[in-house]
Amino acid sequence: MNDEDIERVLKSAGPRERPPLEIERKVRGQLRAEWLAMVADKRRDRRRQAFFALAAGVLAAAIGVWIAAPRLGGSADPFATITLAAGEVRVDSGWFSAWRDVAPGQTLAVGQVLKTGSSGRGALALPGGVSARLDHDTRLNITGAEELTLVRGALYVDAEPAASAASRLDVSTPSGSVRHVGTQYEIRLLGDGVRLRVREGRVEWHARTGGFEQSGSGEQLMIAGDGTVERRPMPVYGEDWDWAAATAPGIEIEGLPLSRFLSWAGRELGREIAYATPATAVDAAGVVVHGSIAGLTPAQALDAVLATTRMHAVPADGRIIVGSDRPAPRPTDVTP
Amino acid sequence: MVSRRVDQALADDKQLIQCLLAGDQRAFDTFFNAYFARVYRFALPRLNGDAEAAQEVVLSALTKAMRKLPDFRGDSALFTWICQICRHEVVDHIRARRRTRHVVLIDDQPDLRQAIESIEAPEEYDLVKNYGRAETGRLVRVVLDRLPSAYGDALEWKYVEGESVEVIGERLGIGTTAAQSLLARARIAFREALEKVFGAEAADIASSLEA
Repeated sequence: MNDEDIERVLKSAGPRERPPLEIERKVRGQLRAEWLAMVADKRRDRRRQAFFALAAGVLAAAIGVWIAAPRLGGSADPFATITLAAGEVRVDSGWFSAWRDVAPGQTLAVGQVLKTGSSGRGALALPGGVSARLDHDTRLNITGAEELTLVRGALYVDAEPAASAASRLDVSTPSGSVRHVGTQYEIRLLGDGVRLRVREGRVEWHARTGGFEQSGSGEQLMIAGDGTVERRPMPVYGEDWDWAAATAPGIEIEGLPLSRFLSWAGRELGREIAYATPATAVDAAGVVVHGSIAGLTPAQALDAVLATTRMHAVPADGRIIVGSDRPAPRPTDVTP
Repeated sequence: MVSRRVDQALADDKQLIQCLLAGDQRAFDTFFNAYFARVYRFALPRLNGDAEAAQEVVLSALTKAMRKLPDFRGDSALFTWICQICRHEVVDHIRARRRTRHVVLIDDQPDLRQAIESIEAPEEYDLVKNYGRAETGRLVRVVLDRLPSAYGDALEWKYVEGESVEVIGERLGIGTTAAQSLLARARIAFREALEKVFGAEAADIASSLEA
């Protein structure tokens, strides 16, 4: 058999295209994270199957355990409360339970696992006034009272500076952990690396390999799988943060001074509230808001509330300029 | 230079799947090394060369394939099965984004697709067609991708890159003697596959490419 023709065919056809190394690296990392999550799910399922096989011999006892377990797992030591569940948001309570949909108001305990689907997003209220928000395709283990483990996807943490002293929270990842020092930040697993974006305050990154980094407001750290760190500035407002704003826990605005509401909206949108004139600031402090902004994003709520006043807001870089449309009204009540 | 160690214990699709589902890191590496580049090359031309779209589609296809592995029955080669998943992902991606032009390749035409997919699951096939030189070259590379990944790599390293058998054995992690044997099997498989897809012998295909 003549192999020369094979050589001629292959040489003439030329080499096959190689995917770019950057794409290969990204897909490998993301696929590996998916695979690890899948294997973990299967191991959990196998443990469950083993349990049920054993339970066949002691059916009555097993039924008792089966009935009691979710209750034990779900409320033995409430630690966090679901504040938002949009789309697929599910929790796994451990050995004796299956993935279940969660609903706002539901409490979670240490040991439970929360995950969002490709169209799901969720948010948790944690002790000390800390808000933790899950983007699409995220998996989060509630590892301890002061520790969450991000297995996949992205998490946004909002700890108001005033509450920071009493609200320690470490977010662990396969390559290290983040500790906030009164802050708003996003941590996202990207393949075998981590992207850390700090919106407000400061965070500390403790690498599993022993490295230590600090990052402050308006900075992004890209921590590669090999531990190398790349820093770059980034805006603290804009569409990159839209998902975190969309999962923000709403506030009760009934009876709230307009200026307090504006401060809340500005913080969620990453923009400082600036008043066009000192008189406008005085007016905003005197206006009392009534009604509800339930179900609205901070940007929608801002529009809805200001529409009931004689004020308007204009975004300008990192600020929202609040001005008066007309001569300032007497401090009054407004209802969106 | 791309090097890839073939783990003999994982060479068989079924065993690879078992080890992958059991959480074996070597199985993940073998799976990724064997399929990523080939699936990427499958997706890229169908997405009009949009590398960013190909990245998304390939990740999605490999993720779905991995999740569905317990359902893989082995009726076709694993790569053929993954390509079917990838084909759906391409269509879904184009529907969702509407910015990437869907390209229908000649190897997506039913008769040629059947021939290409029959490389792993032989069926009666007789196709004699003349394509342009560039398209013929692309089809040859498609055929190379449809062979077991170690076959395709070994043939390319030997005849395109001009590597010695010793180096190929080293890159595959199997030694020189085993590399010689693998190359012999790869040549036979490649020759048969070419004849199935082109309905012509390798020498004629070479002549048309050199014309």
